[in-house]
Amino acid sequence: MLTVKTSKRKFIKLFSLFIAIMLPWLIAIVYFNNSDGEEIPLRSINFIKDTISKVDHSKFAILQQEFETPQELTVACLSCHNQTGREVMQTSHWKWTRDYITDSGDTIQLGKKNIINNFCIGVSSNERRCTSCHIGYGWENNDFDFTESKNIDCIVCHDRSGTYKKFPSGAGYPVKEEKKFGKEIYYPPDYKLISQNIGPPTNENCGACHFVGGGGNNVKHGDIAMEMSNIGKTVDVHLAVDGGKMGCVDCHKTERHNIGGSLYSIASTDENRISCEQCHSEEPHIDRTLNLHTRKIACQTCHIPVYAKVSATKMEWDWSTAGEFNEDGSILVKKDSAGNIIYHSMKGTFSWESDVEPEYYWFNGNARHYLMGDKIDTTEVVQLNSLLGSYNDRSAKIVPVKVHRSQQIYDPLNETMILPHLYGKDSTAFWTNFDWNKAAETGMRSVNLPYSGKYAFISTEMYWPINHMVAPIENTLKCADCHARDSRLQNLTDFYLPGRDYSSFLDLLGFGIIIMVFIGVIIHGSLRIFKNKIF
Amino acid sequence: MIKKRTYIYRSFERFWHWSQALLIFFLAFTGFEIHGTYDFIGFENSVKWHDIAAWAFLVLIVFTIFWHFVTGEWKQYIPTTKFIKAQVSFYITGIFKGAPHPTHKTIYTKFNPLQRVIYLGLKILILPVQFLTGFIYMFYIYPDNPAHEFGLEIIATIHTIGAFALLAFVIAHVYLTTTGDTPLSSIKAMITGWEVIDVDEKEERMKHLQKSLDESVAGYYRMDKEGRIIDVNEAWLEMYKYTDRNIVIGKHYSVTRDEKNVKELDELVAKVMNGESITGIPAKRKCMDGTKGKHVLSANPVIEDGEIAGMEGFILDITEKEEFSEHMNYVVRNSSAGYYRMDENKIIVDVNDAWLKICKYGNKSEVIGKHCSIICRPTELDNLETKFERVLKGETMSGIIGTRKCKDGSVGKHILSANPIYVGNLIAGIEGFILDITKLEKDL
Repeated sequence: MLTVKTSKRKFIKLFSLFIAIMLPWLIAIVYFNNSDGEEIPLRSINFIKDTISKVDHSKFAILQQEFETPQELTVACLSCHNQTGREVMQTSHWKWTRDYITDSGDTIQLGKKNIINNFCIGVSSNERRCTSCHIGYGWENNDFDFTESKNIDCIVCHDRSGTYKKFPSGAGYPVKEEKKFGKEIYYPPDYKLISQNIGPPTNENCGACHFVGGGGNNVKHGDIAMEMSNIGKTVDVHLAVDGGKMGCVDCHKTERHNIGGSLYSIASTDENRISCEQCHSEEPHIDRTLNLHTRKIACQTCHIPVYAKVSATKMEWDWSTAGEFNEDGSILVKKDSAGNIIYHSMKGTFSWESDVEPEYYWFNGNARHYLMGDKIDTTEVVQLNSLLGSYNDRSAKIVPVKVHRSQQIYDPLNETMILPHLYGKDSTAFWTNFDWNKAAETGMRSVNLPYSGKYAFISTEMYWPINHMVAPIENTLKCADCHARDSRLQNLTDFYLPGRDYSSFLDLLGFGIIIMVFIGVIIHGSLRIFKNKIF
Repeated sequence: MIKKRTYIYRSFERFWHWSQALLIFFLAFTGFEIHGTYDFIGFENSVKWHDIAAWAFLVLIVFTIFWHFVTGEWKQYIPTTKFIKAQVSFYITGIFKGAPHPTHKTIYTKFNPLQRVIYLGLKILILPVQFLTGFIYMFYIYPDNPAHEFGLEIIATIHTIGAFALLAFVIAHVYLTTTGDTPLSSIKAMITGWEVIDVDEKEERMKHLQKSLDESVAGYYRMDKEGRIIDVNEAWLEMYKYTDRNIVIGKHYSVTRDEKNVKELDELVAKVMNGESITGIPAKRKCMDGTKGKHVLSANPVIEDGEIAGMEGFILDITEKEEFSEHMNYVVRNSSAGYYRMDENKIIVDVNDAWLKICKYGNKSEVIGKHCSIICRPTELDNLETKFERVLKGETMSGIIGTRKCKDGSVGKHILSANPIYVGNLIAGIEGFILDITKLEKDL
């Protein structure tokens, strides 16, 4: 029999064994829980806000005049900035093209100018409307002289008075006299005032075109919109008035008027890109595992969990339904409860979304584009641009993408996409005559391509990598957003993703064996109890 | 085989076992969450804790490998095919019939053959594979890794197979712990370290004999054929007042006696060397410092390869007892009551003068060494023998009226007392007194 003393000693022995086993666990839990609360310092390298010393343009004699035309002002600008015209005319903002290497290896000029998209499709034959966003004056047709520096629109980017506006269908010109476009009235600019109030571009300058691409706020990009100048951190930590207070050009650094950054809806090569890493380094996290992820995951993927956070963006566009009218023959316009147009006689049916979860694709910085005249595979969805890259591509990363899907016109006999003539007061423009045949014929003739006379509609996709609307840290993606059975990366199947991927055969086998062992144990145990009464 | 409560699992072993058990459960719990099987603490936490536990496990395993080699416990895992079939058929059929375990658990073979194979498999296959794939998994850096040819998928798949194997093992292992003596005895043993297990009887006996030899209060000695002392124990040294064993080892036995007593010992040794065994001979010893002591001595031949190679035996100190009973001796010697003492074979060892007178013998030597039957009438012999037998079993008798056969053949009556003589706990003989009542009776 145990005495009190030995049972106490035994208890102490067992207790110390218990403590010895549990102590490492307690230490680990306390240690790692405490390290959670640390404030993570934001790492930022190379970031300098441009501080160009101010020049008071109101003191310049040449600007003390009333300018009749915008070109007169440009000439005045270039009289001092006498190399700038040459610089500007080499940029893609002016040329609307960049070098593009075709599948056959030829280098051609490709860009907004000659590419088609699945919004308003193409520039050719629709110049007056489209080139209202060109940094020039008078690009009305194929004859526009890209070597004439006086046609450069300096002030669309450099106006700091906030009064300058190009007319939407003015081929890049502002109005000469008061004019209405829809419900909006456009006034002739006060060039003298503007010329004396110029400076580096503000968000409003850039946004005048880029926020409203596709003919309305946030239509195209989804991640940049007019409200970007007045948002909080939850929308975009960089631009936020309570956050980085940054401007577009703080990241889109510019050298000799060549503005950094390109969007692969039209750009195609891994050049002139800007990246988060420029400021945040390639290993910005404290956590080693997260830093490893940066090799294959673009920053944007986790840090932009949703886009179109304030105003909705256009996700789908069905041209095939265009051409229906009210009973009285007037233009039919339908809007959703948020005021977004979901049907328009001239354009067809749209769908809009806000707080959109991006789709995810591999991207190595190179994109391929549909070139006018290329044959299409009519059995598949046509990719007007495709982002290149795969898991095995060492330079590829997973990026978030807005995919814009359309039903748009094509030539089923020639098996080519059609660039229709949409805008114009003439007899063939679709928005005036609502005849696809005529519109197709004129449009295709303007790019010197054949049209068979037959048209149909085909599904197309455009890929818009998402780069803006970076969320605050607490809203970034969590591991389980991707590492889970219902992963956000569902369509990237060329690699093994822990948490998402598993062998269903192995799981069935494994859990099957576990269950069988369990059943075996229960049967064996019951038999023992039954036969031997072991208890 | 006999059962004995034995300390079988040492502290580190238990610490290791339970820590490993916890780690395996924890790794399985977080691992299957990473696998996507369920969602409890979140993927991020699971990964974090799975990694931490993996490192902890690695540290534990390093210490454990060290422990296994230092203690030699690794030998427990050497696989054997012997009895493996018996073990399997025990679990399949025997266990239901209440059959005994086909193998015995001892501290040298803690594991049955099936356990050996399974545990060894865990140690050299499953756990290394889990560690290897686990750490590749942890440090695998996407496609720009040289091991990319094998890919994360194959690594993850092997790791998952290992996890299933471990999980299946854990379930079976926990269940099989209930097949011990009682359903909980194995688990209790792993907690406390103590379990009732089989011990080798012979080995156990040897261990105890060895211990008793070393620590006994009886002095042990051994000498070779030539009479040189080759081994003695502590008690012997103490009795002889030697401080250093080396002084006595190798010496001839004669150093232990006075010159006049050596002869007696020579005779004894000669007898033993002839194959006789001697029990309980009183002897006088000469201690190292020249003082004298008394002891009872036993001696038996040491037989090696069928030949007598020496002699060994024990001595029990009786010096103190003798001194203490000096007065008693005096009384006994001079008493008019007859005193006798016999050994356990009822051979007379000592008598006093009064006894000789009562039995009409002239000299002690006439009776010492003789069986007690010499003073008994043949008709009474059985009766007397039964009485003595009872005394030898521990009974004490007094006031028994007995008859005797004296030396000259005459018969007398006496009152007899008899009590056992203890040496330690053992009864080594009988002693008692007789009071002659022949005359008294005649007077009556």
